[in-house]
Amino acid sequence: MKRALLSLAFVALGSMALAEPFVWPSTWTTAEPGEAVYGGNLRMYDIGDVRTFNPITSAESTTSRDLIMLTGASLMTLPPDSDVWIPYAAESVEMSEDGTVMDVTLREGLKWSDGTDITVDDYYFRYQAETDPDVGSNGYDSWFIEGEIIQMEITGERSMRFTFPLPDRTAFPVVGSHIPAPDHILGEIYREGGAEALQAAWGLDVNVADTVWSSPFVPTEFSSNERLVLEKNEYFGEWNVDEEGNALPYLDRITFELTGDQDAALNLYLAGEIDMFNPRNLDDIGVINVAIQNGDIDAIVLENMSPVASSQFIVFNWNLASDPWKQDLFRNADFRRAMSHLVNREAIVELVYGGAAEPMWSNVYQVLDYWVDPEVPKFPFDPEAAAELLAGIGFTQRNSNGFLVDADGNELGFRLVTNSGATAREQIVQIFADAAREVGVNVQVQTLDFNLMVEQLTTVGEDRPFEAILIGLTGGSRDWPFGVNVIPCGTNLHMWNQDPSGECIAPQETEASQLYYQGRQTLDTEEAREIGYQIQRALADIQPVIYTVSPSAHYSWRTHVRGEHPEDMISDLLGSREYELTFLAQ
Amino acid sequence: MLSYIIRRFFHLIPTFLGATLLAFVISQLVPGDFFTQKLLEPGVRPETVARLRAMYGLDQHWTVQYFRWMANILQGDLGLSFSGNQPVNRVIGEPIMNSMVLVVFSIILLWLISIPLGVYSAVRQYSLGDQLVSAFAYFGLAIPNFFFAQVIVLLVFVLRSWTREAFGFNEVILPVAGMTSSDHSSMNWWEQRWDIFRHMIIPGFVVATASIAGYTRVLRGQMLEYLSSDFIRTARAKGLSERKVTYKHALRPALIPFIAGIGGILPTLIGGAGLVEVVMSWPGITPTFLNALNRQDIYVVLGLLVVSSILLMIGNLISDLLLAAVDPRIRYD
Repeated sequence: MKRALLSLAFVALGSMALAEPFVWPSTWTTAEPGEAVYGGNLRMYDIGDVRTFNPITSAESTTSRDLIMLTGASLMTLPPDSDVWIPYAAESVEMSEDGTVMDVTLREGLKWSDGTDITVDDYYFRYQAETDPDVGSNGYDSWFIEGEIIQMEITGERSMRFTFPLPDRTAFPVVGSHIPAPDHILGEIYREGGAEALQAAWGLDVNVADTVWSSPFVPTEFSSNERLVLEKNEYFGEWNVDEEGNALPYLDRITFELTGDQDAALNLYLAGEIDMFNPRNLDDIGVINVAIQNGDIDAIVLENMSPVASSQFIVFNWNLASDPWKQDLFRNADFRRAMSHLVNREAIVELVYGGAAEPMWSNVYQVLDYWVDPEVPKFPFDPEAAAELLAGIGFTQRNSNGFLVDADGNELGFRLVTNSGATAREQIVQIFADAAREVGVNVQVQTLDFNLMVEQLTTVGEDRPFEAILIGLTGGSRDWPFGVNVIPCGTNLHMWNQDPSGECIAPQETEASQLYYQGRQTLDTEEAREIGYQIQRALADIQPVIYTVSPSAHYSWRTHVRGEHPEDMISDLLGSREYELTFLAQ
Repeated sequence: MLSYIIRRFFHLIPTFLGATLLAFVISQLVPGDFFTQKLLEPGVRPETVARLRAMYGLDQHWTVQYFRWMANILQGDLGLSFSGNQPVNRVIGEPIMNSMVLVVFSIILLWLISIPLGVYSAVRQYSLGDQLVSAFAYFGLAIPNFFFAQVIVLLVFVLRSWTREAFGFNEVILPVAGMTSSDHSSMNWWEQRWDIFRHMIIPGFVVATASIAGYTRVLRGQMLEYLSSDFIRTARAKGLSERKVTYKHALRPALIPFIAGIGGILPTLIGGAGLVEVVMSWPGITPTFLNALNRQDIYVVLGLLVVSSILLMIGNLISDLLLAAVDPRIRYD
């Protein structure tokens, strides 16, 4: 009996020795080695309630949702200090030379929060569920490259293969961020009850303590619209350690107050009831600074850490068959360059954002600085240059109202729409319209319901129902920052030209479309960046979209919350910290 | 009386159908739907949005959608929230309960404050106290609730600064947001009730102040009318104490409109406490409703409208019945 027990112990030791944990580099945190301490409850907030605990159908991004559903045993991870994906839950990742086949071997010792082993079946089940159109997963579209599906197959006990229809640098993050879903629970439900049963699983009625995750913190208590409590996943530390071999995460618990309102969250922060707050603007920062000076709370504030991953721009409609004169005008690159010269980006930064924003020139968000072309053509605020360009296309005279007219007496003007209730956007269009009127362009500002504006913008046809719109987009990927449905002609967010034929009009559009696909298929990042520069130059030259400014992201947390990123790694895309490495100083 | 109740009940059916139809038609007039915003997500194909719309039946004619929704309502199912694919009954259940708790508390507070004030104002008509009560009551009526809530929160913070300077006590004396404390689940039953009560104080008081003016003025008017009536003179002539005359003989009939109005409270309960719930982060109906309205999660919006219209109709019926019960001049036979 004693011999049997001994041999069992050896087997266990043997498998532990084989199961190499993932080591979290100390360069991702400002904490000194050995400084971190275990325990504590980090108190945070989320705007909005939890919508579902179903990881397959969940669609809305909140901090708590992302922490439970997007961290965990993803096959790879994109480090905060590099743009190269590294294996995470995967032990190894090998790509074929032609870039169409990726073989992944899973790390040993991965475990669900109920102690069950994470296997290739869990990854395959999630793939199956996400690519089943009847399930309605938010991840569905990411599994397709130009309409063709990425194939996944299990090739061994710990190995799987992904086959891409063509080499594609955007496919890498799809596989890299692929996270397992518990086949032994949700997979069973799917196999027995199909897509409908899977959709209904793990809704708000579920006892959260019965749900199973691979993430560092797992939900243990939930009260709708009030609070979500996450506790340390004890099994996470078996395959995640710091450089000194200490199991992660350090924190025992994270409590999210589900406030629903930023002002209420700010009050909680000022009252000392939460530990972190993301100030929206300089007003919030002012209030927090006063509280710090008064001695109400001890906290630090980081202002203007990075531009946010979003854009605000003016787009002109090139498909206006009912008004050929305006259609020709909007298709004229010199007209759009002149309009870009009339966007007073510095004034917008100061007047709308109180200095907490940056001018934006390219279709790549400023926060993705690796990809932003430093030599992208710029059309800074210059009313004289605008007037010259307009004179060059025939607008030399003014009418009795003071607006420019061409030789046929057509008044230069258009209707510029933005969505009602968006205060910053309403101010931006007003600043632009005032500057435009000074040089004789009659810009009529109008606000519309957001959805109505989106419908107008995405209408396909030769005669679309708007002249110019100011709107924004969000998102952005560090692997290839160009939108699949924005750059290529004929896609649904190629907003300026939605001709039913799907054909490009300007040669630069054709060039950008071709470069887009070429860049996606270029797996070498340096080379892809060069192609990205060319896309930016081609499009910025003709200004189909006139970018305005990018507001800045700010952060604040109580001084006892430690383990944040070094300052150069804090941005709207990277966040302020890895929660796995966060701890509370004693 | 029974035949009256039955008659009223049958009248409710067309009213209910008309109200739901109107709400549904209005919801259809709003441009776009829950999935319109998805069109702006880089990476989401238009055919995916079309498939999602078909999955939730949004691609069908509104009449088809209405009758399907109605058929479900008759089975007690208010439909699905697009956001998270959850049953509407589940999404709105807890917020309704939370709002009820807050509104009941504010109504009790309202009565506790406005009845004594109304009586005082009537008994001491035109006195300085009467003038002050009126001034404060109108102040409460005039100031927007969401703003008043922020002012009180600010006062709580100012008080903290003061207690810190004076006693070294650096804590807020009342919770400034939410319905429970973060350690609520580890408390015992009594501590939990006390915790919710403490969180209710600011929003409950703010909600109550908005109605104090109206209630005080109505009660003052009623009291003045009764205090000058013959039966009060008789009571005084009999030698009853002024206290008895005021509280037993004048106040009781003066409260009739308040009692009759209890039925009207039912829809108010589910209507929630308005924007105070938003700024104080009270997990009630208003934030849920506004959120659903913003996202065009229409079945959540319609679900709330259905529940409140049913309660409104039942509330009206109860009001009428109570009026008959307390006022002998009214009979429904």
